[in-house]
Amino acid sequence: MRKKFVSGVLGIVVALGLGAVIMLIEGFNPITTYSALFSYSLGGFYPLTTTLRNSVPLILTGLSASIAFASGPVNLGQPGQLLIGALFATVGGLYIHLPAPLMIPLLIILAMIGGALWSGIAALMRRFFSMDEFITTLMLNMIADFFTYWAISYPFFDKTAYSPMTPQIDKAGWLPEFGNFNTNILVMVLVFVAVWFIFTRFTAGYEWRLTGQNSIFARLGGCKIDKNYVTVMLLTGALAGLAGGLVVMAGPHRFLKGLGANYAWDGVMIAMVANNDLIGTLLYGLFFSSLQTGAVGMELITAVPSEFIQVLQSVIVLVIVAGRGMLDIVLDKTQIKRKARERTA
Amino acid sequence: METIIEMKDMIKVFPPNVVALDSVSTDFRKGEIHAIVGENGAGKSTLMKVLYGLEPKNGGEILFHGQSVNFKDAGEAIAAGIGMVHQEILLIQEYTIWENIILGIEPVGFLGRINRVQARKNVQAKIDEFKFNLNLDDKIEDISVAARQKVEILKLLYRNVEVLILDEPTAVLTPQEIPQLFSELQRLRDNGKTILFISHHLDEVLALSDRITVMRKGKKIATVEARDTNKEDLAKMMVGRDVLFLSKREAKQPGAVVFAIKALTYIDGNKRKRLDDVNLQVKAGEIVGIAGVEGNGQFELVNSIMGLTRPTSGQILVNGKELIAADILERRKFVSFVSQDRSKMGAAVKASITENVMMTHHRLNKQFTHWNGALLDYRYSRQFTRKIEEQFGVSMGSMDNPFKSLSGGNQQKVILGRELLLDTPFLLLDQPTRGLDVGSIEYVHEIILKMRMQDRAILLISADLEELFRISDHIVVLNRGKIVADLATEKTNLEQVGYLMLEGKDKEDAKEIR
Amino acid sequence: MNIFIGLINGMISGATPILLAALGGTFTYYAGIFNIAMEGMMLGGAFFGVLGSYYFNSWPMGILCAIIGALLMALIFIVFTVFLKTDEFVTGIALNLFAVGATTYMLRQIFNVKGVFSNPGIIPIPHIDIPFIDKIPVLGDILSGQNLMVYVTVVVLLISVFAIYKTRFGLRLRAAGYNSPSLDSSGVRTSTMRIWSLVICGVLCGLAGAFLSLGYVTLFSENMTAGRGWISLAAVILVNGNPWGIALISLVFGFTDGLGLLLQKFLPNQFTSMVPYLATLVSLYFYSIQKRKKSI
Repeated sequence: MRKKFVSGVLGIVVALGLGAVIMLIEGFNPITTYSALFSYSLGGFYPLTTTLRNSVPLILTGLSASIAFASGPVNLGQPGQLLIGALFATVGGLYIHLPAPLMIPLLIILAMIGGALWSGIAALMRRFFSMDEFITTLMLNMIADFFTYWAISYPFFDKTAYSPMTPQIDKAGWLPEFGNFNTNILVMVLVFVAVWFIFTRFTAGYEWRLTGQNSIFARLGGCKIDKNYVTVMLLTGALAGLAGGLVVMAGPHRFLKGLGANYAWDGVMIAMVANNDLIGTLLYGLFFSSLQTGAVGMELITAVPSEFIQVLQSVIVLVIVAGRGMLDIVLDKTQIKRKARERTA
Repeated sequence: METIIEMKDMIKVFPPNVVALDSVSTDFRKGEIHAIVGENGAGKSTLMKVLYGLEPKNGGEILFHGQSVNFKDAGEAIAAGIGMVHQEILLIQEYTIWENIILGIEPVGFLGRINRVQARKNVQAKIDEFKFNLNLDDKIEDISVAARQKVEILKLLYRNVEVLILDEPTAVLTPQEIPQLFSELQRLRDNGKTILFISHHLDEVLALSDRITVMRKGKKIATVEARDTNKEDLAKMMVGRDVLFLSKREAKQPGAVVFAIKALTYIDGNKRKRLDDVNLQVKAGEIVGIAGVEGNGQFELVNSIMGLTRPTSGQILVNGKELIAADILERRKFVSFVSQDRSKMGAAVKASITENVMMTHHRLNKQFTHWNGALLDYRYSRQFTRKIEEQFGVSMGSMDNPFKSLSGGNQQKVILGRELLLDTPFLLLDQPTRGLDVGSIEYVHEIILKMRMQDRAILLISADLEELFRISDHIVVLNRGKIVADLATEKTNLEQVGYLMLEGKDKEDAKEIR
Repeated sequence: MNIFIGLINGMISGATPILLAALGGTFTYYAGIFNIAMEGMMLGGAFFGVLGSYYFNSWPMGILCAIIGALLMALIFIVFTVFLKTDEFVTGIALNLFAVGATTYMLRQIFNVKGVFSNPGIIPIPHIDIPFIDKIPVLGDILSGQNLMVYVTVVVLLISVFAIYKTRFGLRLRAAGYNSPSLDSSGVRTSTMRIWSLVICGVLCGLAGAFLSLGYVTLFSENMTAGRGWISLAAVILVNGNPWGIALISLVFGFTDGLGLLLQKFLPNQFTSMVPYLATLVSLYFYSIQKRKKSI
């Protein structure tokens, strides 16, 4: 546990250092840049709540990826599942009119159904045709991208808008805000706690984890591998779909082009850097959100382009993951040296 | 004879704190056949790997022809004249014999294009020189295991090594292939080559070698002339105490038939019959051992019994209940299973010991869960782990440590504990003592025999004929998917069983002596 | 007839970048590397290709810079997977995201635009007219007049087949993938073979990227590889690395690309854009069914 924490913090420090080097080369001042970055994301109620709100899709897609990878299925379809989930929530929000206490849960469920449907297609293709979900989820991402683009350009197009987007959903579907504190955070926390419980304390989660580590062992032990596979795919699809639905309900309240698909790939990265650990995903999700939220402010103050953050994020991932491996090697080497010295002494 | 290799004060430590070589000093003479013996984990493989450059040493010095050497990898060792043949055959299955042999020193022409004609000519010359019976265009995946071993040796001879190291060379051979290997090795020795081989089969070591070095727990115990010693003395040096080679079974009257296989046949995707009309019975309180060279149907038999594959036809019955159509969980109510490869099928090595122990019990035993099987009761699981620790003498740290932190013997004890505490009438044990040291092997045998006394029906698959003879009541021989013999242990011997394993029939006739 | 020729030419154009990247992927596939970074390498190549062509006002420099750009990506992959022993899957995904971020960032920093950089100063790779052949009816319009890169691709294909199956390099490369401990025990370092395969993959993905940004179109837009790297990965896996099979599959995918353009008259263009990806799913279906039949 401590090793995880140390390697994580160390990795972030090293990566931020690398970022500082790049900034210096470009002629920027790392100190003012970083301080602008973090003050815009963590310095005060408004920045903090913004960071929290932005972390929701990151954490949810990260959870989706973490659970999938830790249980076996290689679900790389979060981008597509997010989009379809967002679409379902949007369409529900346009045509169904209920009071808010009913509307919000309904749209949430619709979003999850949308995401689960999309991942379910890949799951079915695997179950019946043995098609590797690695490739199918990736292809489905692109297909979802085009499909939702078509959907918001033609059938659900807002005729008064200048670019492809839907009209705004019924106000009852808008997630309430208290000041800048958006309730999507509450939804995320609830879902996270539920998922954490299932994953660590329920029989299902136990079987998923052990299957992910050694599927033959789990199979011989009596676990229903096929059923679990489909369940995990559906669950993780639903999580990514939920992320999409919440983006719509908490943000622009409509589906526009370019809606948060980036979040999903970032979520995958977060899962990898957290090594599929759920709490790690939560923490890294918050951290990456602070980077992304602060990027806008960083650009305003120091003129460092906000796209720089994308570079920084991937560097952090690479450094931490590489560092994890190296830490193991270094620790082992020191132990060997110590033992050998004991022997010859 | 001059000393060709000298190893002084060798030290090797594996993380986290396993001292594999504890200041080992020994020497090897030119033109001798020298055996290195010891139990599993004694350090014999490690000593050779350090010599060969496969593992870096942590201390000590190696002299080859009087010069200090420190090979960084196999390539350097081979270039210097030392070659090693490993237990796992390291050949490219998809390539032909000649491609495997020239790999790394290919004769080339324009733009690196391989000169096929020259290559094949060179390889054929070597085959003829050492009189190996090989066809150089055969693909490795198509030839026998003994032939593959010859290719490995040829590969080294092709590079003109003077010293050949062989790691457990007889482990993959049948009793009938061993004399052929021995005569080839003796021919090489007579040609001036030095041969070092690792083994724990004392009869072979005494028959083949000139000198023997005994290792135990990372230390060298002694180097003796083969003619000056015998099996008992070697065993005592290896283990540190008097070792019994006797059978330990008590007499027991078997009960009713618990497990039966009838006319089991399995035809694979390439239309080959892997199991051919297999009939088998195990009674309560009986141990039936299956002997056979690996690859003769054991794998398919285990998979069929456990439910990993569906046989083409036949029946599998436990206490009269037909299992062919049952899913794995259903079978686990009646079958306990110890697989041959712990880390592949018997455990999830990174998960904690408790989590490994819970498997299957979590589904079959309501006490492990709440809410009708949905929520786990970790407290009960931990108590259960504690029970296994005590009952099976497992030495573990915290039960939350990863499974792989346990030693091999303790891992196997945990797995046995988990499986045997399932309340089942039938046990399927596949190589249960593979890779264990002599002490652990004895302990495991005691446990298995105790299960026998408790009227469980036990099917034991083993590549160790001695083990089969020690604890089974009946020995069944599997050859090319067929049961070719079903013999009461008292009425047969190692030689007969060995012959049946290879040839599929007795020297005179195929007879059922039951 | 014109439609037919247009379709064929569209197929060839669509297939070229996929084939080049897939050939690069073949080398790493045979070496035993799980390389999913072709998308990132191609994107890096596309960007640097535009950079080189614009600043040096020449397309040969563009191609050279494209190769260098892709090689930089490959180098990162090499450093992390071979030397730091990082997981190949994670490195690949991180590298792809890095490529997107870095090229977007540099687009902003160097060219001061967001989204697309298009400028008459970018010199495209020329088409080559072959004398005599271009006079042949029908076939002439296909065989001659193609972009230079198309002819380069054919040469690369032939060289790849020779290298992989006839040379000592190829023997060792495949050995690295089939059984790397065996290769190591023969005195040849697997890591060396893997590094070479990644370098080759970088060069080929660089060429693919150059074709994308200097041939297929003449501009750089954010994330312009649009999943082609994933399609070439699918091609490598489906065909088990056989270069001829990959050429065939690339043509099929290129065809669907061209078909998509044709179908734009009948369907909204979003659906036609889906065609290559749906085609990949269909191919995977046939491949998986066939594989399942074999194992039963």
